[in-house]
Amino acid sequence: MGPPKDTLFRSADMCLTQLYIANEIGREVVSALGEVGEVQFRDLNTDTTAFQKTFTQEIRRLDNVERQLRYFGSQIEKESIPVRPQYEFSNILAAPSASEIDELADNSERLEQRVSSLYDSYETLKKREVELTEWRWVLTEAGGFFDRGDVEEIRQSTEDDDAPLLRDVEQQPRGQNGDTTGGQSLSGMNIGFVAGVIPRSRIAAFERILWRTLRGNLYMNQSEIPKPIVDPTNNEEIQKNVFVIFAHGKEILAKIRKISESLGADLYSVDENSELRRDQVHEVNSRLSDLASVLRNTKNTLDAELTQIARSLAAWLVVVRKEKAVYQTLNRCSYDQARKTLIAEAWCPTNSLPLIKSTLQDVNDRAGLSVPTIVNQIKTSKTPPTYNKRNKFTEAFQTIIDAYGTAKYTEVNPGLPTIVTFPFLFAVMFGDMGHGSLMALAASAMIYWEKPLLKTKLNELVSMAFYGRYIMLMMGVYSIFTGLLYNDIFSKALTLFPSQWHWPDDFSTGQSVEANLEGSYRYPFGLDWNWHGTDNELLFSNSLKMKLSILLGWAHMTFSLCLSYINARHFKSPIDIWGNFVPGMVFFQSIFGYLVFTIIYKWCVDWIAIKKQPPSLLNMLIYMFLQPGTVAEDEKLYSGQETVQVILVLVAVICVPILLLLKPLYLRWEHNRARAMGYRGIGETSRFSALDDENEDGNTMNGGRDSMGSDREAAAMVTQDIGDEEHEEFEFSEVMIHQVIHTIEFCLNCVSHTASYLRLWALSLAHQQLSVVLWDMTLGNAFGMTGVLGVIMVVVFFYVWFFLSIAILCVMEGTSAMLHSLRLHWVEAMSKHFMGDGIMFQPFSFKLLLEEEENEG
Amino acid sequence: MANGASPIIGLIFIVVISILAYFFSPKGENQTVWRSTLILSFASCYIMWAIVFLAQWHPLIKPANANLRPQFVHS
Repeated sequence: MGPPKDTLFRSADMCLTQLYIANEIGREVVSALGEVGEVQFRDLNTDTTAFQKTFTQEIRRLDNVERQLRYFGSQIEKESIPVRPQYEFSNILAAPSASEIDELADNSERLEQRVSSLYDSYETLKKREVELTEWRWVLTEAGGFFDRGDVEEIRQSTEDDDAPLLRDVEQQPRGQNGDTTGGQSLSGMNIGFVAGVIPRSRIAAFERILWRTLRGNLYMNQSEIPKPIVDPTNNEEIQKNVFVIFAHGKEILAKIRKISESLGADLYSVDENSELRRDQVHEVNSRLSDLASVLRNTKNTLDAELTQIARSLAAWLVVVRKEKAVYQTLNRCSYDQARKTLIAEAWCPTNSLPLIKSTLQDVNDRAGLSVPTIVNQIKTSKTPPTYNKRNKFTEAFQTIIDAYGTAKYTEVNPGLPTIVTFPFLFAVMFGDMGHGSLMALAASAMIYWEKPLLKTKLNELVSMAFYGRYIMLMMGVYSIFTGLLYNDIFSKALTLFPSQWHWPDDFSTGQSVEANLEGSYRYPFGLDWNWHGTDNELLFSNSLKMKLSILLGWAHMTFSLCLSYINARHFKSPIDIWGNFVPGMVFFQSIFGYLVFTIIYKWCVDWIAIKKQPPSLLNMLIYMFLQPGTVAEDEKLYSGQETVQVILVLVAVICVPILLLLKPLYLRWEHNRARAMGYRGIGETSRFSALDDENEDGNTMNGGRDSMGSDREAAAMVTQDIGDEEHEEFEFSEVMIHQVIHTIEFCLNCVSHTASYLRLWALSLAHQQLSVVLWDMTLGNAFGMTGVLGVIMVVVFFYVWFFLSIAILCVMEGTSAMLHSLRLHWVEAMSKHFMGDGIMFQPFSFKLLLEEEENEG
Repeated sequence: MANGASPIIGLIFIVVISILAYFFSPKGENQTVWRSTLILSFASCYIMWAIVFLAQWHPLIKPANANLRPQFVHS
C-alpha cells in the first residue's frame, strides 16, 4: 500500500533518500532536482569548513561573475537605462548547460573589462573637462581684476608707505622680495600672484588662515563662479569661487600655494598680459570643445554597451544564481573518491519519489550514461521535516499558522480549519454587509488582476494586502453573511422579510411605544429590522452578541480540543487520550458546555407564557460553585437543577487530579516495566559499552559517528545509525512538572479563554456603533438640509462619509478585527492541540530561490 | 413561516448540503480543502444563524421607541 495522499490536513509523508550520482552528471542531476523543487538536501559535510569543500572553486568563480553582473547592474542603474524585466524571458527555468556557463563567465569578464576601461577613460576625460572649465573661469575672472586696473592700485599702494594701503585696510603687502609667477609688469616691483579655484564653503577658513600665517602680507581678490561645478567622481555639484592673491616674495607665494592646495583649491596659471591671456582663453576653449566631442563619443559607446547588457542582464543573473545554488548544494554531498560517485542524502515527500526518479532517469538518458542514478530509501529515526503543500489559495492561511510555529511532523495542521474559522471570526467582529462587500470587491479585484499585479512592484502595505487577497475575499464574503444576520448595511437595516414586531396603531408623536409580537411568526433570517433605532436596541443586541461570542468560543475551542484527540490517535499514544484529552474535555464541557446548554435552554423557554422570572445565567454559574446543591426557587431554570449541577461540579473536580496524575504515573509505570524486562534506552546502552571499553567518553557511539564516517564502504548502513537523534532519558520529575504546568494552564485557560471570546462581542459592538456615529455625523446631517445647500452638502458629505468608511471602518477596524481573530487562533484555539515542534521543510528549489532574491532586491 | 421548528429544519438542511458537499467536492489534490472549507462554512454559518434566531424566538424585551411617528409605521 502506498503512502496516504498528501492533503493539507497533515504534513506530507517524508522519506530520507540516498542518491548515488555518477560524478559526471552531478551538476545536471542537482539542477534538474532544483527545477522539481521537492527535495531538501542534508548537509553531509558539516564538519568541513567552507574552504575545504569540493566545489569551493566553482562557487568563487560564479561569485566573481555575479559581482561583475551586479557591477553592470549598478552602472546601468546609474545611467538609468531600462533593464528588461525577468518575466519577459520565457525559458527562465531551463537549466543552463556547462558550456553556457563558461560562455557567460567569459562574456562577463570581457564585458567588465570593456565597460570599466570605458568608464575609466570617461572619468578621466570628465575630470580634464572640469579642470579646463575651472581654468577658463579663472582666466576670465582673474582677467577681470587685471583689466579693472586693480594692479595699478596695488602698485601705487606699495610705493607709498604712508598711504592707507588698500581699500581693504587690513591688507598690507609690505614684503619687497621678488617673484616669478606673476606677470612681467608686476615683476618689476617683485609682486607675484597666485590664482585658482576653491570650494565656496572653504573660502572663509581660507582667508583667515592666509591672513594669520602671512600676517596680512597679501592682497586677495575673489569672485563667485555663477555655475556650480560637477565633481565627476561622485556627481555632486559644488559651488566654487575664483581667487587671485597678490603678495611679495617667493617664499610667501610658495606658502600661499601650499595653503591653498592643502585646503583643496586648484591653482591655475594665468598670464598678466591681456593678449597672452586671450590666447590662453582661446586655447582652453578649443581644447574644451575637442574634449566634449571625445566625451560624447565615449559616452555613446558606453551607453550602447550597457544597453546591450541590460537586454539580457536579468537572464544572466538568474543563470548565475541557479548555478551557484547548484554548486552550494553539491557541496552538501559527500564524494566517494574510489567509485567516482557523489552521495547525497535528501528529504523528499514520499509521493514525489516517482517524479524524482523519472527526472533522474531523464537526466541519465540525456547524458547517455550507462550507470543509472541510484535512489535508495533509508529508514531513519530522525524527525522528518514538516511539509504542507500549499497553493495560492491556502498559502496565506498556512502562513498564519507557520508564523506561530512549525507543526510537528504529521500532526493535524490547523491551517486547514483556519481557512474558514479565521475569516469567520473576523466577520463576527466586522459584521456589516456594506463594509464586507467593499472588502470582498477589493479582494476580487486583486484576484482578477492577479497576474499583472504579480509582476509589478507594490509598496509594502499593498503587497501585504495582495498576499492575503484570498483571506480578504473570505473575510469579505463572511462579513456580508454576518452583516445580514446583524441586519447592518453601513449601519442601516434591510427590510428583507416582514417583521415579527408590530407597533400599536394609535399613539401620538413623542409618546414612548412598545411593539408587540405577531403570533408565532419569527423573523427568519437575522436580527429583526424593527430593533433598529429603538431605545433599547443596544440592550437587546448586547445580550445577543455576548451570548453569541460565548457560544462561538465554546464551539471553536471544543473543535480545537477534538483535534488533540485526532493527534493522539495518529501518534498512537492512548495515554494522551485518557490522560489529557478525556479529562480535559469533560472538565471543559461540565462547566462551559453546561453554560452553553443553559444559554440555549433559556432561549427555548417562553418565560412570559409560563409567567416566570427568567433567571440570570451569570449568577447561576457563580452559585454553581459557591453554593453547590442549592438553587433559589425564583432562580430555577428547570427542576432537578441542583442535582445536575452538583454532579457536574464533582465531575469537573475529579477531572483535575486525573489530568494531573494519570499521564506521568502511567509513563513511569511503563518505563519501570520496560527496565524490569531488561530494555535500556539507546543512550544508556552506549554508556554501558563505553564503560566496557574503559572509555571515559560516553558519547562516542551516539553523537560522534556521523553518517559519513570514516568507513565509506558501509555508507548505506551507517546512515541508518542513530545519528544525532535525541533519545531523552526518562525523568519522572520533568514529566511531572510538565504535566502540572499543563493542568494549571488548561484549567485556568478554560475560564480565561472563554472570557477572551467576548472580544467578538466588544469589537462587533464597537464596529456597529462607530458606523452609526459616522453616518449621523456626515450623511445623516446632510440629509437633514434642504434646497441647494442640501444638494451640495449631500455630495460633499457623501465623499467624506465614503472616504472615512474605507479608511476607518474598513482599513483600521478591519486590521484590528483581523489581529483579534489572529489572537483567537494562536492563543485560544491552537493552545488546545498544537504541538508545534517541527522543522520546516526547505526544499532546494530554483523557484523559491529566485523569489527570495526578488524580494530582497 | 418561520417558527420554533426552523432551527431543526435548518439543521437538517445543513447536514444534507454538507453531505452533498462531501461527495461532490471537486476531485484532485485540493479535495480535502474543498470539503473542509465548505462543511465548516456551512456549520459556522448555521450556528450563527441559529443563535440569532433562537435569541428572538422568545424575546424577553420588546422594542421600545419614543421617537416614532405614527405615519411612518410599516403595516
